[in-house]
Amino acid sequence: MTDILIILLGTTMLYVSSVSRIEAYVKTLAAQGFLLFLLVMVGVKEMSWLNIAFLVFETLIVKTVVIPYFLLTVIRRNETPREIEPYISQFYSLLIASGIFVFGFVAAFWAARTGGNIKPLYFGISIAIMMLSLFLIVNRKRIITHILCYMMLENGIFLLSLSVANELPMLVNIGVLLDLFVAIYLFAIFFNKINEIYDGSHVDVLTELKD
Amino acid sequence: MITLVIILPLVFGVISFAAKSRIVNRVALLGSAALFVVVALMVWLGIDWRWLPDWLLVYFRFDCIGLFFFAVMAIVFAGVSVYSLSYFSEHNLNARQESVYILEILAFVVAMAGVILATNLALLWVFVEATTLTSALLIYFEKKKSSLEATWKYIYICSIGIALAFVGIITLSIGSERIGSLFFSDLYLHASEINPVWLKLSFAFLFVGLGTKVGVAPIHAWLPDAHSEAPSPVSALLSGTLLNSAFLGILRVQVILVRADQQAFSNIILLLTGFLSLLVSAVYMLRVKNYKRMLAYSSVENMGIMFIGVGLGQPGLFAAMLQTLAHSFSKTSLFLTSGNILHSYGTKKIEDVQGLLKRDPVTGWIWMASFLAIIGIPPFPIFISKFFIIRAFWVNGQGWLAVLFFLFIVVVTFGMGKAVFRMAFGDSGIEGAGSVRPASSAYLPQIVLLAALVIVGINMPNLVNEMLSKAAAFVSSVPAPVARVAGR
Repeated sequence: MTDILIILLGTTMLYVSSVSRIEAYVKTLAAQGFLLFLLVMVGVKEMSWLNIAFLVFETLIVKTVVIPYFLLTVIRRNETPREIEPYISQFYSLLIASGIFVFGFVAAFWAARTGGNIKPLYFGISIAIMMLSLFLIVNRKRIITHILCYMMLENGIFLLSLSVANELPMLVNIGVLLDLFVAIYLFAIFFNKINEIYDGSHVDVLTELKD
Repeated sequence: MITLVIILPLVFGVISFAAKSRIVNRVALLGSAALFVVVALMVWLGIDWRWLPDWLLVYFRFDCIGLFFFAVMAIVFAGVSVYSLSYFSEHNLNARQESVYILEILAFVVAMAGVILATNLALLWVFVEATTLTSALLIYFEKKKSSLEATWKYIYICSIGIALAFVGIITLSIGSERIGSLFFSDLYLHASEINPVWLKLSFAFLFVGLGTKVGVAPIHAWLPDAHSEAPSPVSALLSGTLLNSAFLGILRVQVILVRADQQAFSNIILLLTGFLSLLVSAVYMLRVKNYKRMLAYSSVENMGIMFIGVGLGQPGLFAAMLQTLAHSFSKTSLFLTSGNILHSYGTKKIEDVQGLLKRDPVTGWIWMASFLAIIGIPPFPIFISKFFIIRAFWVNGQGWLAVLFFLFIVVVTFGMGKAVFRMAFGDSGIEGAGSVRPASSAYLPQIVLLAALVIVGINMPNLVNEMLSKAAAFVSSVPAPVARVAGR
């Protein structure tokens, strides 16, 4: 069951690397949040109730509903329906994405042999999700896509953190979530500002500062 | 103590934000700055004062290296606060704008204090991210088009970097499963039990994450933009304290590797990035056209020197600590002075500034003196730290690296010197000497910082020497107890 959920999570990233409608990204983000929630539910036996409550809040409420909804309102207000032509075309980026997944599985095999306390598939897929998010950030031009891919990077990291048995102190957990939340909020504010001030909200307009 | 520096400044900030009165603003800003200095002194003297419940105190503590970085931050912040008064009047800010500035700057400083005092690696991460978020608003304070671009690059690059640092924290807890805690004291005590493969992997991730905030090459892209576009007092705070607090994060992780006897791995990374930073700053120093960006590249260079000092191990550590102190003070002085120049000439271009010594002699002389301080002309202490680093290369039997190091430093000095002298001398374009006279708060902080540096350079007070040696011993492999100086 866990394995299927993890593979599904990986597949969402493949989907993202082949679409260009911005709303599809947001829906994928919400789907990832929900998959992470299911993953938390599957592994629920090993955790303390306080941690479970917090994780349910983080995945189901924040990652599945609040952040995607918030970003959707930002997108609708700024009328940015589509990604503009990326640096590398959809076909090749899908090819590169598959390559990254192969690397993820290699990483999983490697992790299994190092003897650390690690669930290999979690490790491999989360590494793949992180690398793919970074690749998408480099490849896509719209700033809103960058924000969405940052969230996917965070989801990849969250998946990795689920594979560790040790629980972080609650104070730290709350701090991490708060940081994430404020970061997304500030991203949206500055995205709006860039949209207002510059002609179009993609990174090619940000070239004033250089040596 | 912890209550005083973590909570009280925030309360001050909120009060000044709510009151929106000029007097309350000044009391809040200068009061918080004084508070930081007093707390640093009291901790040094061993005066203990607990207000918070014990379960919360576990997460914050003054240890010997933390106290050193805190003291540097407190002094720099005090200088910046005094300078901010002249920034307010020169830019004709109204009481509301002032209070926004003060709330943001206090939140930023509290976040940095959190980084310095945190006893848990994950908590340190939380505060490092908090410094990014709070300082982003400050960089955009002047609300110009170019500062928006700088802010976006800063907040986005640093957030990605910090996200990768969290991967480092997770991989560390995978490798240290038997320890089951991310408190530094536990990690240091049981460092040898951590799986070395995962430890190295986690160092790599943490280095990328925290190194992005330090602004070391090749992950320094945000630094020149943010430093040049922020208001000058904020640039000073970014360069003089923010880079240090992220550097402290790397040092704390380095201690784990030292205790686990894996420092050969981290030292190579530190040396490589250190030299790369020197190379990058040497190249850009020769072609940069904006004097605030020039100062930012000088920060890249100096952080590189600190990394090299740490990477050299035991012989270079004292030099790295001295460099930290001296760089913070002299770079703060430079950035604050650049604010005066910007106000008087209205441009950031080097070629448009001439005759500074004629137009505004006080600023001109401080500008020259701060330049001498940052490149390390005796009696300024950067001379000592650079000399110690070159000596450390010889002690380690890497004399050829010392030659390379020297070469880079000469190039940087040449590039920076050319610009600084060009700005200082020549025709001012305005009749009469001393036609511009800034308010006393616009040059007093720099004079005090430079005087302190001269004292440290000529005859280092025992207090400073002891603080630097203890901080250096904390990072070195000599097994020192995880002692705290005093207080909590």
